[in-house]
Amino acid sequence: MRHVSIIASVMLTTLGLLGSLGVAQAQGDCKTLVKASPFGPDDQTGATNRITPAVTKAAAAEIQTGVVIPMANNLVDGVPLFGTRFTKTILTTASLVPGAEYGKNKLTYMEDTYLSQSHVGTHIDGMGHIGIMDCYYNQTPMGKFVTQNNLKKLGLENLKTFATRGVILDMVKVFQDAGKLKTNPACKTPCLDGGTVITEADIQAALKMYNVVLREGDAVFLHTGWGDLFTQFPAQNATYNGSEAGLGKAAAQWLADQKVVLVGADTWAVEVIPSEDTNEAFPIHALLLTNNGIHIIENVRTDLIAAEAASSKRATFFLSMTVPKAVGTTGTFVNIEAIR
Amino acid sequence: MKRRHVLIAILAAAWSERAAIAEARRFRVAFANLNEEPGTSIEGLGFSGAEIRRSFELASRGLPLDMIYYDNGGDPGRALANAADAVSRNVDLLIEYNSDAEANVEIGRRLKAAGIPVLALNDPIPDAPLYTADHLAAGTIAGRTLGQFAKENWPDQTAVAAILGDVADPSPFVAARIRGVTEGLREELPNVPPDLLDSAGHPVRAEGALAKFLASQTRRKVLVAALDDASALAAKSAIETARRNNDCVIVSQGASRLVHGGASEKKEIDPANRGSIILGSVAYYMDRYGYEVLPIAMRMLRGEQVPARTPTSHVLISAKNVFREYPPHDMN
Repeated sequence: MRHVSIIASVMLTTLGLLGSLGVAQAQGDCKTLVKASPFGPDDQTGATNRITPAVTKAAAAEIQTGVVIPMANNLVDGVPLFGTRFTKTILTTASLVPGAEYGKNKLTYMEDTYLSQSHVGTHIDGMGHIGIMDCYYNQTPMGKFVTQNNLKKLGLENLKTFATRGVILDMVKVFQDAGKLKTNPACKTPCLDGGTVITEADIQAALKMYNVVLREGDAVFLHTGWGDLFTQFPAQNATYNGSEAGLGKAAAQWLADQKVVLVGADTWAVEVIPSEDTNEAFPIHALLLTNNGIHIIENVRTDLIAAEAASSKRATFFLSMTVPKAVGTTGTFVNIEAIR
Repeated sequence: MKRRHVLIAILAAAWSERAAIAEARRFRVAFANLNEEPGTSIEGLGFSGAEIRRSFELASRGLPLDMIYYDNGGDPGRALANAADAVSRNVDLLIEYNSDAEANVEIGRRLKAAGIPVLALNDPIPDAPLYTADHLAAGTIAGRTLGQFAKENWPDQTAVAAILGDVADPSPFVAARIRGVTEGLREELPNVPPDLLDSAGHPVRAEGALAKFLASQTRRKVLVAALDDASALAAKSAIETARRNNDCVIVSQGASRLVHGGASEKKEIDPANRGSIILGSVAYYMDRYGYEVLPIAMRMLRGEQVPARTPTSHVLISAKNVFREYPPHDMN
């Protein structure tokens, strides 16, 4: 009898715990909080669905000289990070010890342990990164699909290729030409100051500057000049992280309406910080990622491609960026190159 | 009847045309700030003049405003000179934050003579609408919170209360905050009148004053109403040093970055720190003044009536709502 009551008590406690775990998720009605994917109820791929063979083939026409422009910052300890984030590399060199070589040919080896969160340096935000309450891309009630180790839905392994056309939008030149550039004294080269809202009109001006018309499946990168502070690490880390110029809501919605596949920038959030509405947290992240499946690439190195575009009067390129098939992850560092 | 309809239609068309012109037009608005001297704590609440000015810069981003900024430097003479400059530049509206009553009367007179509307911030100017913190209401929230905590958590134990901070400050704002705390406490605990512990505005002295108080109240639960966040952190330190964490709680005033933190800063009020003896801090939102005040200015510029007095909507910022009220950006 006593056994029965103990079992019942354990069961009740377990049920109570499960119940409280359920309550612990910020549950919402995902059908009202998040837009449905235009690619169907099972879609976990998002905007990369738009990169069809025809899109990639058309983008290949951008390769005219074969010149490759790097667009990623070096992955190295000391770059701007938030809060408790860190990077640490540890080099294993055991076989270099005399006598530890392998075989009669005395082969040696080394390898690294890289400790870091995934959203550091030049990186992609996956669709498991941002939601409204527990509702993520394509009305996914994410609380049902998370474990202690990874996501069971919306992981990076679901993405298709990013082999598409890239477009650089030189916002520094736009603001300079309009006579409204207010730079930050910490920037060694001209930059848009923190809190500067990039509007739809600014984006239109940047496109017009190089006669670009956005196409479905394009990858758009904003050059704000703020990345200059990233390259000064660690001296300007606090300034870099403190605010940034970036997309306002109307501009982000306009880009989403053009059916682009990603928006990147030489900033840590792509969107303007502080936000237009100071009570909102990362509204552009929610707009692009959660509601439209459009990826966000942060801390992109844009100065070289912006300079190349200015000298050649051509702002488009073939985008080379691969994303590891890291199952169930929310983001990862990426390397990006613009092929001209 | 028909003529009346026509008249109404003409008036409506004229009004909507005027509104459209006002909508399309850009305005020149001057903001004369109280004091931007680094290290100055505005109204003793831990906000800087630079934070207030920045809030105007950010809030004006989406508005048809060309802002002109002045720093009154806490000096009535400079405030008068800044107002004179604003008149000479023929601004469309002046937002004045100056604590000297005599200078404010003169500023009001000069601007009225120039036909320039004025919006007063925290300190009144005759005939000008006022946006102001409600120190009495804020203090009451703090007092009530402490009293409710004691009733819910220590129903059978004796509690004492203390108001800690620059209690001797002659500012009427500080007096209102103290009165509010006292009244809020009395609503919940009628027999617990608070002691006043004077820090003279120095956190180190606040720590010492509370340490002495704690030593005299060894078997009692202690409710601490700090007048500002720096005093609250000093109080926490005193309580921890005396190992009285289990029988003391603190409610603060301000909700400045000192307690809710910014990017990569320590967050005392944080969902991950729900056990803190600092239950919360009453928000004054001085770092958002621009977002509160500029919409009122826009209404004045459009010729609309605005209330004579618009108070801040104070709320208690605690671990439960801090991320909603002050969304952090250090997760990205």
